[in-house]
Amino acid sequence: MNVHTYEKVWLIGAMVLIVGFIVTITYGSVGLGIAMVDDSEETIEPSELDEDERFADPRVEQVGENEYEAYVVAQTFIFQPDPIEVPAGSEVTFYVTSPDVIHSFSIVGTNVNTMVIPGEVAAMTVEFDEPGEYGVVCNEYCGSGHHTMEGELHVVPDEEFDMTELSVEADDEVETGDEATIEVEVENRMLEALETTVALEIGDETLEEDVTIDGGEAETTTFTIDSADLGEGDHDWTVTVDDYEDSGTLTVADELEEDDDE
Amino acid sequence: MTMSNAYIDDFPAEAKLVRTAFYSSFLALALGGVFGIIQTLHRTGYYRFIDSADYYTVLTAHGVFLVISFTIFFLVGVFTWAITTSLDRGVEDLRFSWGWYGLMATGITLSGVAILAGFTDATDISASVLFTFYAPLQAHPMFYLGLVLFVVGTWLAGADWFRSWWAWKQENPDSRIPLPTFMVLTTMLMWYIATLGVAAAILLFLLPWSLGLVDSVNPLLTRTLFWFFGHPVVYFWLMPAYMMWYVLLPKVSGGKLFSDPLARVVFVLFLILSVPTGIHHQYLDPGIAEGFKFIAMTNTMFLLLPSLLTAFTVVASMEHGARQRGGEGYFGWLTALPWRDPVFTGMALAGLMFAAAGFSGMINAGMNINYLVHNTFWVVGHFHLTVGTAVALTFMAVTYWFLPQITGRALWSRSVALGQVVLWFVGMTFMSNAMHRGGLLGVPRRTAEPQYDGFEFEAAVGSMGELQAQIALGGILLTLSLVLFFANVFGTALNGRSDELPANEYAGTLSGPEDAPLVLDNLKLWTAIAVVLVIFAYTFPLLSIVDRGGLFGPDINPLPVSLETVHLLAFVLESHVTGTLESIAWLGVNR
Repeated sequence: MNVHTYEKVWLIGAMVLIVGFIVTITYGSVGLGIAMVDDSEETIEPSELDEDERFADPRVEQVGENEYEAYVVAQTFIFQPDPIEVPAGSEVTFYVTSPDVIHSFSIVGTNVNTMVIPGEVAAMTVEFDEPGEYGVVCNEYCGSGHHTMEGELHVVPDEEFDMTELSVEADDEVETGDEATIEVEVENRMLEALETTVALEIGDETLEEDVTIDGGEAETTTFTIDSADLGEGDHDWTVTVDDYEDSGTLTVADELEEDDDE
Repeated sequence: MTMSNAYIDDFPAEAKLVRTAFYSSFLALALGGVFGIIQTLHRTGYYRFIDSADYYTVLTAHGVFLVISFTIFFLVGVFTWAITTSLDRGVEDLRFSWGWYGLMATGITLSGVAILAGFTDATDISASVLFTFYAPLQAHPMFYLGLVLFVVGTWLAGADWFRSWWAWKQENPDSRIPLPTFMVLTTMLMWYIATLGVAAAILLFLLPWSLGLVDSVNPLLTRTLFWFFGHPVVYFWLMPAYMMWYVLLPKVSGGKLFSDPLARVVFVLFLILSVPTGIHHQYLDPGIAEGFKFIAMTNTMFLLLPSLLTAFTVVASMEHGARQRGGEGYFGWLTALPWRDPVFTGMALAGLMFAAAGFSGMINAGMNINYLVHNTFWVVGHFHLTVGTAVALTFMAVTYWFLPQITGRALWSRSVALGQVVLWFVGMTFMSNAMHRGGLLGVPRRTAEPQYDGFEFEAAVGSMGELQAQIALGGILLTLSLVLFFANVFGTALNGRSDELPANEYAGTLSGPEDAPLVLDNLKLWTAIAVVLVIFAYTFPLLSIVDRGGLFGPDINPLPVSLETVHLLAFVLESHVTGTLESIAWLGVNR
């Protein structure tokens, strides 16, 4: 075959370019460890996500000292959880699936980007070095409300990050003279123990109790209040644990209203 | 009777067929263009007169009319011209030829009606599933059926061209396949292999599913079968443009094609490498092993070779033409090119944009850097340079050469034509540049409103507002360019018959087929290699996908995309707030 000299040079140059591309990409994968979304995850029944251990309750879990897993459900037209909160300086593996149509999970301005296909679970491990807030978008058309499908990812400073959950059960009303109880359950979903103070403010009083909660455990603190000290009327209370707060109102009455049913 | 030697003089019946195919193509271009400007103004927020939910119907229509009907009707016109001209014989059986045209036209009408019906409440027919129709999004069966008929029409068209070649071969047993015919045949062989994917996706899964014959599909499987077809289809759009760059551009430049053998090599490479690359559209798909993605990536990279070779051959042919016209110097010859000829200028600008598209394509092909741009506006910028300019602008430019050939009438206005091709180039420069930049900021493609509540896209240089303005400006210039194009098409049709038309000729070669080894013409060999590569690239991924998710997939529910569902989706949203998934099943029950 008769090939012009210049064309031969061009041909060789083109081959060098192509092989060069393949080499750099291979280096990115093998040398730098830029992994692809692949088939490492088991398939999942899209109609049974509500029975799945990971996806029934979409959330972030701590699995190692600086390692977290986020179980994310993308569905028409929301992401759950929203916002997703992780600490800076951590390594987060996102597991994302869909109960309905194909979506994507794309953290805007980063290369964290995957298709979300019903029946499959996309897994991606990402390191977040700096605190920041990112938008999350679905960039695959998923139906008429596609453009409203967005979420947020908050990378918070390590020292401000916790996975504390506060729930309070309190009496609504008591008769003057009776004791009112306010039960505060603090769950620590981190691996390491949490030392903190549970504080209750009611009326002019502030009650405090120091607690230590082991990783993955929950502790209940019960405050008992003598209603006589408070006096008749409505009393607002606030429970505070670190940055978490719950509040309500306790009514102290001389005589509790009769229940009409009786 | 007539003094000229135009195509219509030699092949009046075929000229009518080519003309009809071109006019069908132009109708699709007009519709696609109208939907294009509606979308541009809606997305950028400059003018919104449709509901955002209808945006996706507009987008489906824009995509399907432009990349299926506009491109492929034009292709069958060009290929019919190429076969009849280069073999110097009419089609074997005109009724058969009109038969495949009729099938294509019927098919695209069915699909088109199904899409456009999405705008009205009067019927529950709709197909707002976009060009990719990913399940579980579900279109009306008419949409899928129409696509099947259209594709079968193209298969028969290919059979028609092979039939011409076989008949010619009987009479010319020792001749080399003429270059334009060689290009048609290799392209069609690639197309036969490629369309097996979409045929399987539709006939085995999506059509039975939309008819309610099967309950479910495997979304990853149908998606993979789509991309089996979805990547090579871009070369199906591109090959007629390449053919024009090889056989017409050297001619209008005033010279000859630099190398016939390398032109054949290029088309053989496209036949071999176009299909086993589709998985590069699925770099981000869970359920496909990294190794399969790697294979698709290497094949894709080697697919750069024929395009790089084309860049050389086309520029070398232009330079040869320029030197024949008295051009001199290292770069001085550029000024000797016929820049006032819209056919030349349009193709040259299209080629220039294709070079830019090549660079963004190389980034898309890099499997790890792809994560940064996948499904962002960057990709839209990329394919508006490829199919939207390299292909579309070449088609419009060569239309100015073809119109006199197939209508027998002189072109209405060369100056308007020149303005038109330049305007397209300028408009697309604004639009695609801004799209690429937007993609780098993370702006998604395929969305009615890229404006979000919780965050803003941050531009390091310029601003989102500036990008939106460029896109809107580009869209308006492109629309004006289309208006000028249609003015010329109508103006020419209204002209009287001319006796002084240029002859129907294509470029000669500097290095002819005698320099090309005979093996290049061995179509059976290249087809066999192509099939082996496809088997190699696809058998294991497909088996693995079926093994994981089943042939008919997990228990998913179809999401029919129609106006009716907009109301249903309101309920869905409501129930999502309560965090239940039951609404999805409810949708399925009530569809």
